[in-house]
Amino acid sequence: MQLLVNIIVLSSIYALIACGYVLIYRVSRVLNLAHGELMMLGAYLLLTTASLFNGNPWLAIGAAVVLSLAVGVMVYVFLMRKMTGEMVLAAVLATVALGILLRGVMVLVWSAQQQYPGQAMGFTSTALALPGGARISLFAAILVGVTALTYLALFVFLRFGRWGVRMRAAGQNPLLAAQRGINLHGVYALAWGLSTLTGSLAGMLIALDSGLTGSMAIIGLKAFPAALVGGLDSLIGALIGALIIGASEVLSIQYIDPLLSDVVPFLVLIAMLIARPWGLFGTREELDRV
Amino acid sequence: MQSSSFIATALMAGAAAALAPAATAQAQNAYVIGVTAALTGPPASTYAPAIDALRIYIDRLNKAGGVNGKTVSLVIQDDSAEPSKAAANAKKLLTQDKAVLMINASLSSTYAPVVAESKNAGVPLLFASSVCPKAVYPPAEAGQFCTTAFAANYDSRASLAFIKETAKEPVKIGFSAMAIPLSRGEIDFAESQAGPLGMTPVDKEIIPPPTADYTPFATKIKDAGANWVFSWAPWVTQVRTFEALRRLGWSGDYVTWAHLEAEGELKRIKDGKLYVVGANALFEDNLPIQKEIAAAVKEAGGKYPADQMTEGWIAGMVIEAALKGAGANATAAKIQESMQNLKVDLKGLRGGPIEWTKDNHFRTRQYYRVYRWDGTKIAVVKDWFAYDVK
Repeated sequence: MQLLVNIIVLSSIYALIACGYVLIYRVSRVLNLAHGELMMLGAYLLLTTASLFNGNPWLAIGAAVVLSLAVGVMVYVFLMRKMTGEMVLAAVLATVALGILLRGVMVLVWSAQQQYPGQAMGFTSTALALPGGARISLFAAILVGVTALTYLALFVFLRFGRWGVRMRAAGQNPLLAAQRGINLHGVYALAWGLSTLTGSLAGMLIALDSGLTGSMAIIGLKAFPAALVGGLDSLIGALIGALIIGASEVLSIQYIDPLLSDVVPFLVLIAMLIARPWGLFGTREELDRV
Repeated sequence: MQSSSFIATALMAGAAAALAPAATAQAQNAYVIGVTAALTGPPASTYAPAIDALRIYIDRLNKAGGVNGKTVSLVIQDDSAEPSKAAANAKKLLTQDKAVLMINASLSSTYAPVVAESKNAGVPLLFASSVCPKAVYPPAEAGQFCTTAFAANYDSRASLAFIKETAKEPVKIGFSAMAIPLSRGEIDFAESQAGPLGMTPVDKEIIPPPTADYTPFATKIKDAGANWVFSWAPWVTQVRTFEALRRLGWSGDYVTWAHLEAEGELKRIKDGKLYVVGANALFEDNLPIQKEIAAAVKEAGGKYPADQMTEGWIAGMVIEAALKGAGANATAAKIQESMQNLKVDLKGLRGGPIEWTKDNHFRTRQYYRVYRWDGTKIAVVKDWFAYDVK
């Protein structure tokens, strides 16, 4: 039972991060390689709001969520918008540069030491007992719930929401969408905002559960295989991909060698790229256009 | 506060650029010490506080008149724990800045290029807060020295000896390491020593850095039936494995290395069965030298808490002594000669002095102390004990 809980928790972490990759790729064909850093920035924003709104943790969380959304929008407005019309590769390289810049700035502003936003907000991470003798930490349980809610909200938004439909249209055929009067810059800015928000939620919850260090950005990269295995343009793919990667990692720790847990996700990824380069739920046409 | 320190840093960087020619002229009348350190990058939390402490120490030294009537110019370069950057830093510090002493405070992967550059230039190299390489242990190689508290093999011996003394029932021991060569090597050594000491090794987890969730690793240790766990790794791996074990309901005893973060973390976690074995005295001791450090950090507006400053402060004390011994017209060779015959009283920051000889550039005796949270404060569980380093 504990094994199952471990798989669900790790998969949820990867799924929450991976949907950010998918949102941006699906709409603009850009691989955001600064996603891990933006995720970490979200966690640091929570640390800042926790000290700003000392004694009011919910206000701190709300402010950090709004700021994360705003950061994503600003990344688009001040950086990625300038990449419009350039090669996709140039945009991807811009995200690499953004990631390096953010890492340096975060150390300068918040220092390199381990931080605990949960402690600053007066939270303690207790453990919950589950049937079958399994246990889960409170924040891990919240993370699983937040992941489920995020995916549900995104499915509803993209299927029925006015801006969601516009995002899908812009992703499928930007030229036609623009001709139909869709504000492409607005759509792209929203995609960046939502992507940064979901990544930040993951960063905040990981930080609340076990603390925050400068190496958190790498966890963002570890979720990348989940998005690729599932298919970069598919949200359901990101969910299934995260489950596959999470399960392979936990099972390799349990039954093979803990050291392999770092390698197995990439072995799965390589196998997928050989057998089905567009991923389980991605579309071949989308990948050909990269 | 955070943003104001960022602005101050930016202003200082601008001012430094504007005053560069003047600084160069001043450096000619100063001992130039080159530092390549992981101030950014994943392992920065281990090294950045030490270099901040060293900077504060040297600033304070200069304000008090310097050494032998000369100031000390500390030129700090960030290598982000990347070997290529460390190599470029070392070249720049040795050829452009004309450093007479080099300091490495970074991952062991940066050692090779920095050692090579320093050797070529004939400049001594001090490892401060970074792990001591084999070259500093007897028989030591000329030109490499180390002040860092932790010591491969000795740390495991001290920790296992403590477990053997403390355990009231047969010890089933689990191990936790980070998937980096040094941590793995030490845990392999500890595992090999556990059997002869009458302990039963039941599990060993080598955890990749960084890991999103430590619970799967902790689950294995718990399921293996460990009643003691020993971890020797960067702090993040040590503490997160412990906390994951506790969340799983594990109630055993956990022994781990007292990194810079240990004091603050013992106060945060407040668990009586979490023991930290270390070579530095914690600030709970409230020694006069610790009060002095705390005051200096406060005055300088240090980025890190005073209780993380010991490593850098010790490096500062040793550098001051080495420069004093080398004289006002010190060359790199004279500094190296001075370092080869050095004894520095650490005023209680460690169990004994740092003493270097021609053959031993680590220390002649390695002292340990064990602390834990006793319910109300941090308490010494086992007072200073030592091993001769031969």
